[in-house]
Amino acid sequence: MKLSSKLILFITGSKLAVVLLFIISLPFLVDGIVSEYTNYSLRRQQEKVISIVNKNGVNHYLQGDNSYGSYTMLKEEYIALEPDSQNLHIDTIKVAQRLVEKDTLTYRILIHTFNYKHKNYLLEIGKTTTSINQYNKPLQRIALFVLMGLIALSLLFDLLFTRILIRPLGKIISSKLINRKFPFKDHSPPVQTSTDDFKYLDESLILLMDQINDAFEKEREFTANASHELMTPISILQNKMENLIDDEELSDAAIMRIVEMMKTLNRLKKISNALLLISRIENEQFAKSYTARPIDLVNEVIEEISHRLEEKNLTITVRLEVEKALTGINKDLLFQLFYNLINNAIKYNVENGSILIESKVSAQGDDVIILSDTGIGISADELPFIFDRFRKTNLSENVGHGLGLSIVKSIGLYHNIDIQVKSMPGTGTTFTLTFPKETYKTKA
Amino acid sequence: MKVLIVEDEKTLAYEMEDFLKKAFYICDLAHNIKDGLDKIEANSYDFILLDLGLPDGDGLSLLPKAKKHNPDAAYIILTARGNLEDRIAGLDLGADDYLPKPFSLLELQSRMQAISRRKFNVKEELLPLGTFSLDLQKRMIFFNADQIELSRKEFDLLSYLFLHSNRVLTRMQLSEHIWGTFADDDYDSNYIDAHIKNIRKKLNAWAPTDFLETVRGVGYRIKK
Repeated sequence: MKLSSKLILFITGSKLAVVLLFIISLPFLVDGIVSEYTNYSLRRQQEKVISIVNKNGVNHYLQGDNSYGSYTMLKEEYIALEPDSQNLHIDTIKVAQRLVEKDTLTYRILIHTFNYKHKNYLLEIGKTTTSINQYNKPLQRIALFVLMGLIALSLLFDLLFTRILIRPLGKIISSKLINRKFPFKDHSPPVQTSTDDFKYLDESLILLMDQINDAFEKEREFTANASHELMTPISILQNKMENLIDDEELSDAAIMRIVEMMKTLNRLKKISNALLLISRIENEQFAKSYTARPIDLVNEVIEEISHRLEEKNLTITVRLEVEKALTGINKDLLFQLFYNLINNAIKYNVENGSILIESKVSAQGDDVIILSDTGIGISADELPFIFDRFRKTNLSENVGHGLGLSIVKSIGLYHNIDIQVKSMPGTGTTFTLTFPKETYKTKA
Repeated sequence: MKVLIVEDEKTLAYEMEDFLKKAFYICDLAHNIKDGLDKIEANSYDFILLDLGLPDGDGLSLLPKAKKHNPDAAYIILTARGNLEDRIAGLDLGADDYLPKPFSLLELQSRMQAISRRKFNVKEELLPLGTFSLDLQKRMIFFNADQIELSRKEFDLLSYLFLHSNRVLTRMQLSEHIWGTFADDDYDSNYIDAHIKNIRKKLNAWAPTDFLETVRGVGYRIKK
C-alpha cells in the first residue's frame, strides 16, 4: 500500500474513532452538565429563599399558615416550606417522587433544613426530571453537527497537507527508481524539497547509484583491459607453437604435447575473446544500424552449424515469418545471439532429438521468437544463474567456456530484447525472446 | 616478396619473421613508427604488416605517409585492439586487410596469398596437386579437363592444406580456418575427419590421393 493511502486511511480512521468516542460519551456528558446546572440553579433558589426569610421573616412565605407550597402551571417546578418537627439536619439534592395534586411526578429535589428563630424548617425545591432533560436531545444533536463539520474540515486540511508533504517522495520514486535501467547513465537532478528526510533519501540514492555506476565502470574497464592485455602474450605463445610444431627434429611425442598445449591456449584465447566481446557490447561499441530478417539469421546459423545437427541426428524446424524483420540492430551480434542459443540447443540435446524455432504472439500481445529443444534441461535451482559468467550447469564434462549465455544476455540487453527461459530436466529448455515493438516489425 | 613487419613486441616479430622466411618471404623488422618510416622510405616492400599500438604512437598514423613512399605495397593491420572503429579507420586509410590478435601465422600467410592473387594480379596457372590441378582464384579442382565438385568447406580445407604444403595442420587449426570464431570448443570432434573423408572419396574416384596424408593424433598434411 502506498504511503499516502496509508496516511489517509490512518487520519480518517483516527478521526472516526474520535467521533465515535464522542457520540458514545455525549449523552453522559450532556446529562452531567445538565444535572450540574440544575443543582446550581436549585442552590441559587435556596439561597434566595433563605435570604428572603432572613430579611422578611418566615412569615413572608407561611403567612400564618402551617406550611407553604407553590408550583408552576405545568407542575414542572415546586417549592415547599414547612416546620420540621423532627430535629433533623438535612441538606441534600436527590431524585424522588412527589404527589402534586393527584399527579405523581419525578423531581430532582433540593431538601434543606434550617433554623429560624429557634424553630426548624424544612425547605424543598423541586424540578421535574422531564423538564430538566428536555434540552438533552437538541443539545446533543447540535454538538454532533458542529463536531462533524469540524472533523470534515480538518480532514480536508490533513489530506491536502499530506499530499503536499509526501509529493517529493513520489518524485524521488519516479525519477530515481521506476523505469531506471542499469547502468544508470542518465543523471536525474535532485528533487526539490524542504523536508530534510526526503533530501537525505534523495541524496543517498543519487550517491548510491553513482557508486554502482562507478563500480560497474571499473569492472568493465578491467575486463576490457585485462582481456586486451592477454591478447599479446597469447599471440606470442600461439605463433611460437605454430613454428615449433613444424620443427622436423621433434619427436612424435613432443608434437603431440604441443598439440595439447595449442588446445589449451586456444581455450584461453576463446575466454579472453568472449570477455572482450561482452565488455565491448557493454561499452556500446557496436553500431545498431542494420536490418535483418530473423529467418535469414537463423538459416545462416543452421548452415554454419549443420554438421553438428547431423552428428546427433537432430531435427530442426524453423517457423518464422518471411515478412518480418529486425531494424536498428547489429547483425553480427544478433547472429551471435541466435548462434549461441542454437548451439546450446544442439550441445545439450539428446540423440535423435529436435529443435523448434518459431515466432508467436505472446499473451501480452508482443511478438516473440521461441527456441525450444528436447535436451537434457536445466534444474530449477540452476536456472536463475545460467546467464552468469563462467556458470556451467548440467555438465559432467568440461564443455565450453561458460560465457555463451552471458554473451546472449549482453546482446539482449543492448538491443532491449527480453529473454525468458523455462526448463524441465529431462524434457528440454525453452528460450523466449521478446523484441521491442519498434525493432521487430513487418517489412514495409 | 619483401615484407616489413612493424611490431613493437619483438618476440612476436621474430616468430612472424621465422614463419614467413620458411614460406620464402624476405623480411625486415621495425619496432616503432620512426624506424618503420625510415625503412619504408629506403626500401620498396610488397607487404607491410602493421601493429597499431606502437611505443611512439598509433600505427594508423603511419599509414598515409607510408602509402606515399610505397603506394603499391599491401598493408595488413595486426592489432589486439580489435574494435570496429579501428577496423573501419584502417580500411578507410587504404589497408588491404585486418587481422585481430591473436592470429594464426597460417591465417596470416593465407591472407597474404589471397591479397597477392587479388592485388598483384598474379596470374596463377593451374597449380598441380598430385595428378590434380587447382585453380585458387575460381576455387575449382580439375582432373585433366574434368572439374570435380567439392563443397565450399571441402575446397577451403583442401586449399588451406595446399597453401601450407609439407606442414602438418592440426584439426584445431583447420576448424579455426573453416569456422572462424565459431569453431567448436570440442577440438577432438570428427568434423574435420568427416570432411577429409569426403574429399578423399571424391578425388579417389579419379586418381589416388597419396599426397593427402593423415598424421596420427595430430592432423593432416599435403606432401609435395
